[in-house]
Amino acid sequence: MATLADLAPRSVGVPKRQGGWRRGLAYLLLTAWALLMFVPFVWTIVTSLKDRPEAMAIGLPAAPDLDAYAHVWSRVDPTLPQLFLNSLGLAAAVSISNVILGSLAAYAFARLRFPGREIIFLVVLATLMIPDQLRLVPVYQIMNGLGFTKSNPTNYLSVFLVLAVSATSIFLLRQYFLGIPRDLDEAARIDGAGHFQTYWKVILPLAGPALAAVAILQFQGTWNGLFWPAIFFGPVREHWTLPFGIVQFQGIYQTDWPPLMAIVVVATVPILCLYVFFQRYFIEGIAASGVKG
Amino acid sequence: MSASVTGARGRDFRGSLRTERGHEAVVGLAFIAIPMVLFLVLQIFAIGYAFVISFFDWGIRGAREFVGLANYQELLADRVFITKAIPNTLFLTAVVVPAQMALGLALAVIVNQGIRGQTFFRAAFFFPSIASSAAIVVLFTFLTQPQGLINTVLGFFGIESNTNWTNEPGTALPSIMALLVWTTSGTMMLFYLAALQGISHELYEAAAIDGANWWSAFWKITFPLLQPAHFFVAVVSVIGALQMFDAAFIAGGKDGSPANSLTTMVLFLYQSWSGFEFGFAAAVGIVLLVLLMSLTLIQRRFFGQTPSW
Repeated sequence: MATLADLAPRSVGVPKRQGGWRRGLAYLLLTAWALLMFVPFVWTIVTSLKDRPEAMAIGLPAAPDLDAYAHVWSRVDPTLPQLFLNSLGLAAAVSISNVILGSLAAYAFARLRFPGREIIFLVVLATLMIPDQLRLVPVYQIMNGLGFTKSNPTNYLSVFLVLAVSATSIFLLRQYFLGIPRDLDEAARIDGAGHFQTYWKVILPLAGPALAAVAILQFQGTWNGLFWPAIFFGPVREHWTLPFGIVQFQGIYQTDWPPLMAIVVVATVPILCLYVFFQRYFIEGIAASGVKG
Repeated sequence: MSASVTGARGRDFRGSLRTERGHEAVVGLAFIAIPMVLFLVLQIFAIGYAFVISFFDWGIRGAREFVGLANYQELLADRVFITKAIPNTLFLTAVVVPAQMALGLALAVIVNQGIRGQTFFRAAFFFPSIASSAAIVVLFTFLTQPQGLINTVLGFFGIESNTNWTNEPGTALPSIMALLVWTTSGTMMLFYLAALQGISHELYEAAAIDGANWWSAFWKITFPLLQPAHFFVAVVSVIGALQMFDAAFIAGGKDGSPANSLTTMVLFLYQSWSGFEFGFAAAVGIVLLVLLMSLTLIQRRFFGQTPSW
């Protein structure tokens, strides 16, 4: 007879006995797949430390150096620090605005009664189904009509406005706010707190994990985003972000792999760090947007 | 209007239910005001606008003339659209979606066996999903060079290959599809993992008493109970596959080189847009939306369920 430990997809709290070969097979598969995830990234780093002639050779660099980094640091246009700061600025702005605008809207949807609340919320969720690319033509026309494609700082504003608040942020925060006991805000209301104070002093301090998840997911999404920067920053070199820079340099460098890999490393490491330290929020954020939805 | 009046009166009649309600409504609407203006303009109005634009000969200087369905007719007669963009997109969706789902489910079930290092494996599998597509695709192009790591590894297993995988018409699309499966299976795994946590243990206890083995418990209990997750993952995955842009654009440029082998519907839309054929590009977008909506409806039929969002 099969034991419970054999059948349960999750054996938390279930005594783990036998099934040794299956366990061994599981480890083998998992390790193989994990290697498939990591080897390419390790290989990128190794290549970025090489010289051009040895780039394609399999093996470690004869004399590892940071020449490729030095090259992209100062001798490309825009330089690596500039690309980095552009990505950082845009990602930070989008992340902060999603937290602020998203949490205000989520508070209203979770706690305040106003006419049309349910319908408006459904419409917000429905926007998740609309592909970004479908909006390309009209959104560009709208921004163009507003004069937001003509001069430098307004190009930036165009991308920011498109990304400033996403339905996912509102949805995630609302779900979390609904889980906070209402007694807490009622107590605050009895003490004379207004709606904004309740939001600010009661809900926000309790919603740390959800706010962190939104901030991190939006930061990561914007940092990696290629589509809207490609649309609005194309002709404006000084605004290029790392992903768009990578794509452009790929055309310029062709087979000069070490500098290209150096940019790839710089584009990936900040997200990797964020991931290592805040892994929980990434995973919870992604899972929550799926399951509870 | 009445809301602001009652809001002002609220100061005089503090505690009155009606004024309290009015005040709450005003605050509520104020809290959602900025996001709603953005959604209204950049999403809802945008879609209607795209629809309108698609009926015009609309170039860089704006609408020139109303052309009715001409853009759509032109689109359906466009060789690249009909013989490349649509087949490529459908082929990609038909292969990538089941592959992502199967792999995501397999990874989730294996990771969920209560093994040591579960957190590590989960994190490792999800990592490619969080790296930027630009970085991943450039890295992938490097690995798939004729002298690259992939051919070297193939040679190690006795398969001699000089293929420039992402740069030959026959292999470019399948390579990019493999890349997509590689990067996104981690996300699908997370969705499945979360759903697996919701399955009650008692079911497995009952199955164990009935003498079921692991394999039949998986097919008779786990798999059917994951139905909502299958639906969600399928929808997310189809939307992602139909909108595939980044990888095709980075690997094949705006033209989906080589020989349009990487031209997807969305890349085709981008091509038309960057050629200032805005009316035509808008028509491509509308066709894409129709396709997306019909596939979602078909999935709903297939899985017999409505999306809960």
